[in-house]
Amino acid sequence: MKSYITYFKLKFKTGLQYRAAALAGMATQVFFGFVYVSIYVAFYESGSGNLPMKLNEIVSYVWLGQSLHAIVYMWYKDKEILNMIKSGNIAYELCRPQDLYFMWASKILGERLSNCALRFLPVILFALILPSPFNLDLNIALPRLLLFIVVMILSTILMTVLVLLYHVICLITLDEKGIVNIFMVVSDILSGMLIPIPFFPKYLQNISNILPFRYITDFPFRLYVGNISMNEGFIGIIIQIIWIVILIILGRLITKKALKKAVIQGG
Amino acid sequence: MGLYFKYFKIHFKSELQYKLSFIMSFIAQFFVFFGYYFTIICLFDKFSNIKGFTLYEVLLTFGIIQFGFSFCETFFRGIDQFDNLILKGYFDRLLLRPRNILLQVFCEEVSFIKLSRLIQSIIVLVIAIIKIDVVWNVEKIITLVFMLISSIFIFLSILIITAAYCFYTVKGLEVRNVLTCGCREMAQYPIGIFRKGFIIFFTCIVPFGFINYYPLLFILGKEVNKLLIISPLITLVYLVPSVIIFYRGMRRYSSVGS
Repeated sequence: MKSYITYFKLKFKTGLQYRAAALAGMATQVFFGFVYVSIYVAFYESGSGNLPMKLNEIVSYVWLGQSLHAIVYMWYKDKEILNMIKSGNIAYELCRPQDLYFMWASKILGERLSNCALRFLPVILFALILPSPFNLDLNIALPRLLLFIVVMILSTILMTVLVLLYHVICLITLDEKGIVNIFMVVSDILSGMLIPIPFFPKYLQNISNILPFRYITDFPFRLYVGNISMNEGFIGIIIQIIWIVILIILGRLITKKALKKAVIQGG
Repeated sequence: MGLYFKYFKIHFKSELQYKLSFIMSFIAQFFVFFGYYFTIICLFDKFSNIKGFTLYEVLLTFGIIQFGFSFCETFFRGIDQFDNLILKGYFDRLLLRPRNILLQVFCEEVSFIKLSRLIQSIIVLVIAIIKIDVVWNVEKIITLVFMLISSIFIFLSILIITAAYCFYTVKGLEVRNVLTCGCREMAQYPIGIFRKGFIIFFTCIVPFGFINYYPLLFILGKEVNKLLIISPLITLVYLVPSVIIFYRGMRRYSSVGS
């Protein structure tokens, strides 16, 4: 256990070194957030009756998405892991006494959290100082906030195991460009990162409700803005935990299968 | 021109060597692009208009902007990936050859995978043109053609400027993404829908307004000023300073070694 925490810390600290990249990333997030918010504001000002979310809800949703972007997006490729698979250096990795799956999990988690740590606060602060229709709503009851924090932690774990699953699939395909790319894009769309699930057409809503992706982005954010009731929130937590367990089992199974007939590429 | 086509053929052949990988990436790109207009379609499912613009009017702007961007991404990928060229020291190689530098940079890479986006943007464009509530006449068709051409040129100019930026910083930062992707994201909608500050920015500093807004008003019959037909061509002027900036930056270039 201790060694996994060390891996996590190592990656986390390395990630914190890239401050210039973080600054640029922050600028991107702020700009994009502002663009999306402006589009939504323009839509809502054009008026329409029956809408699934209020304007201030969706604006806060966008800002949460931008500030936690480093945690919730799915299009993520750990270059180190992928290079290891392609170059054959995975052989060294297999020599270590640690479990491959959890070692990689702690690495991915460390990297993503460090990325987020550098960007989170500045983006949030920017979103708070904006004038009225554009700003993030901080007005949230304490119980809901606590629930949101729990849900967000689970969502981070869910993200990690899902991203890890894609990397583990690369053990079989040896290439991240084909099928894995498709998985990543589709999960980005279905997670509600582009647009919240309630805006989806009905049939797609039904599909995304039974898949794990929306529990990473759409569910926690809509819980925060108050679009999902507390009761649904508790049910959601159970579903999140179930998905985490399923994905871990699946990921470990694939790892085991793949390593049984692993071909070390070069040496 | 002949030189470009020669490079083009070479890249095409080399890319087709990996057929399965090519097909898979092609499909993946399809989904990436799908995500873009998926949002627009979802939103118009709930809203009837955005500041008076209907779905197909927005899709027309979307198609024009995406067409210009993916055209540059497909055929001038080299300039998009310019920091790679500098970082690895390959740029020295280009300098040694007795041909136009910029042309060589363009030729350096052609991405046929991005062709997937180009095709889709053309499909969206065609659908929008058919479904939109406009009586097409010669003037309007000419305006549309100008819009498409200048859409390519504006992205090309932006890419050249950001490439020139690499001469100063060596590594192209994410700032480029803000300029290209961020502007693209915004320009998918007619810029008239945004607040004043944005409109001024996109008219005077980065002239997207002359591609997707002012001429659009003419096509939709909301404005009758004939001057708007040629207004997209303002972006051509934008290309000149960006090329000058590029060559100025090149003078400062010092190789990173290889």
